[in-house]
Amino acid sequence: MSEDIRLQVSHISKTFGITKALKDVSFNINKGEVHALIGENGSGKSTLTNMLTGIYPMESGTFTLDGVQIHPKNQVDANNLGVSIIVQELGTLSGLTVAENIFLGHEDRFMKFGFRNTHAMNAEADRLLQRYGFNNIKASNMVDDYNFEDRKLVEIVKATYFNPKIVVIDETTTALSQEGREVLYKQMEAIRAAGNTVIFISHDLPEVIAKSQTITILRDGVYIDTIKSADVTEDQLKKLMVGREVTGDYYRSDYGEKISEEVVLSVRHVTVPGIIEDVSFDLHKGEILGFGGLSESGMHEVGKAIFGASYDREGEVKLQDGTAINDIPTAIKHSVAYTSKDRDNESVVINQSIRDNVALPSLDRLTYGSSRFLSWPRIKEFAQKFAHEMSVKMVNTDQFVSELSGGNKQKVVLARWIGRGSDIVVLDSPTRGIDIKVKQDIYQLMNRMRQEGKSIIMISEELMELIGMCDRIIIMKDGKISGEAPRSRELDENSLISMMV
Amino acid sequence: MSETAIDVNKEQQLKSLQKMRLVRALLPIVGLVLVFILFNFLTNGRMISHLHLAMSQVYVTMIASMGVFFIMTMGGLDFSQGSILGLSAIVVCALSHYSIPLAVAGGILTGACIGAINGYFYVNRKIKSFIVTICTMFLFRGLIKYLTTNSPVAGSVDLLDIDSTFFKVCCTAVVVFIGFICFTFTRFGTHLRAIGAGEKAAMFSGIRTDRLKFWVYVLAGAITGFAAFISAIKVGSVTSSGGNQLETQILIALVLGGMPISGGAMARFENFVVGSLLFVVLNSGLTMIGFTTQMMQLIEGVVFLLFVAIFADRQAIHVIK
Repeated sequence: MSEDIRLQVSHISKTFGITKALKDVSFNINKGEVHALIGENGSGKSTLTNMLTGIYPMESGTFTLDGVQIHPKNQVDANNLGVSIIVQELGTLSGLTVAENIFLGHEDRFMKFGFRNTHAMNAEADRLLQRYGFNNIKASNMVDDYNFEDRKLVEIVKATYFNPKIVVIDETTTALSQEGREVLYKQMEAIRAAGNTVIFISHDLPEVIAKSQTITILRDGVYIDTIKSADVTEDQLKKLMVGREVTGDYYRSDYGEKISEEVVLSVRHVTVPGIIEDVSFDLHKGEILGFGGLSESGMHEVGKAIFGASYDREGEVKLQDGTAINDIPTAIKHSVAYTSKDRDNESVVINQSIRDNVALPSLDRLTYGSSRFLSWPRIKEFAQKFAHEMSVKMVNTDQFVSELSGGNKQKVVLARWIGRGSDIVVLDSPTRGIDIKVKQDIYQLMNRMRQEGKSIIMISEELMELIGMCDRIIIMKDGKISGEAPRSRELDENSLISMMV
Repeated sequence: MSETAIDVNKEQQLKSLQKMRLVRALLPIVGLVLVFILFNFLTNGRMISHLHLAMSQVYVTMIASMGVFFIMTMGGLDFSQGSILGLSAIVVCALSHYSIPLAVAGGILTGACIGAINGYFYVNRKIKSFIVTICTMFLFRGLIKYLTTNSPVAGSVDLLDIDSTFFKVCCTAVVVFIGFICFTFTRFGTHLRAIGAGEKAAMFSGIRTDRLKFWVYVLAGAITGFAAFISAIKVGSVTSSGGNQLETQILIALVLGGMPISGGAMARFENFVVGSLLFVVLNSGLTMIGFTTQMMQLIEGVVFLLFVAIFADRQAIHVIK
């Protein structure tokens, strides 16, 4: 058996300040397998792989790769040792060509007498891209010319072309559409078939069970167990991750409820040049309206357009009382809320306290009487009340949002709009990169809001949650509405995918 | 069990973080007191006995740095303050022959106009603020030189008559107090800090970021326009070097006061108040000891660098996944 072991993780610990991110973690990873690493946010998955790939320095413990101890100093060093990583967010550098990105840190092979042979490098990169079947990407183009999806493909080439012994894929799938995922799955399978190893980090449990052979679970920086994917169910995994039974409803359980006739928001002929074209629909009171599609289908722009945040928008967004929404302050004033897919840049002010973030849209109400002077006691009380209502994991509201995990940041975002008492809530990818426990909280919250008569627009790349939560699902394709499906027990992913592509 | 352990860890971590923040907040104040005591010791108490002389420089710097404080809180910079002060002072002096209130209004309006030019190019033409303001600095410095080619612009005698320490202290106190109320107890301050910490997120929270950015530049110009009046009653006339180097003085004062260069949530109102006092104490102290101008610049440069190193926000933002 022992000759099959590729990597021995033994007694790895890591601390950040006085937070212990990893506590004496030991397990083995075999050759020729997709080894999934799962756990809730903050369980130490990324910390472990970042140490393996030289992004974080080692602290205590050892990595033994094929019987040799390794201490990668940086990512290039890790590559030379046979370990590479595809990260969650953008891992390509702007301002460089595709070829320069692929061979970043390994330019030596194209150097002659101190000069770089760009032609040879581009030719080699083109050859690689052809081999992977990414024919639409050209090596000599700037990487900025390509969208998120294609840049991820470039990263796949960059991380795998040299046949590394271990490839780490860190929550990459959450950022990809269905097509992109299929490409990635194919590459994972190819790496495995070649006898190499994939370490696969994902929050999507069905995906983990379907695509991996072995699963290791971490919880709060502690190693819990390593099990065979074939022997485990989703519920068992959830239990292992959370440390207790996940109880209660996950998605909505009701079917056949009638949607109110009352229209609270009507969108007519909205066009944003180059992104969406002639989009019209109505949102009813107490309805959860879903938007699905490929990530480039324009569905994310629909959310911005409703909130008055699009540039050059044409067409009309009107509320029940006839108010036209053309800019963000008007939207907020008339009880429209929006959470962006780009949480860290657009939804929360990262380098600011939880208190200020929660209170920011509601400051005009938190004054002394009807004066314009802010009441800090009221602001504090307000922030505390809604942060607690959303059970944000924090020490107090003075804490900066940057110190929170993804799920808790999203809770801060939701707390601010619940505090504002918004009646129309636009949620763009509300559960992106968030663990099951918080996902469940968010789904339950949406259900409660719906029952209270608030209307929700949910934009998501995960079809399962749209099917589970929405009264109606609108599918977008190439910037236009391509179909609509009402809530029903029989609705499945395939019928929606057929409208998407 | 491990959950509570992590909570305890988090709590300790946060406590140490808050301690760090407290140290950062107190350091400039402690520094001010220490430097003040040190110089009194070195000059055998001459600083206290000549306090009004030492302080005579502080009024203009403090008032003008309040405007720049607002700009820097929202993440911008302004290098044109010296030229604004010079040109506004010319307007104040020229109009003082007609009426003093008119002169004050003229100075403020001139400053506001230059601020509006800065704001227009920064906000509407989307040019980086330090480039815009360096351009306007040169542009209006040129205009000042042109207007003072033949002779300095002299103010009326009435202007000099107003000059008294009491009057200048009152003016400074009133301006700073109004600024304090607006920054701390209205949406203005919170919105500025939100823009500094994350402009896009601030926009999505319903702040009209572009409008606010423009008006803050206008406001900063107007405040410096008022500072020009204080400067004019002290000097009585404006030469081609009127207001020269003010922008650097302001920048140094703000950094000495603990202002984070990138603005944002860590900006505190006392930054510029303490900073301008510290700057002036340092400056006049070194003069009283008898350092040459060159030596003074060297020492101030070292101190400046030291403070930037302390207050630059290098704190890595870790989110442990």
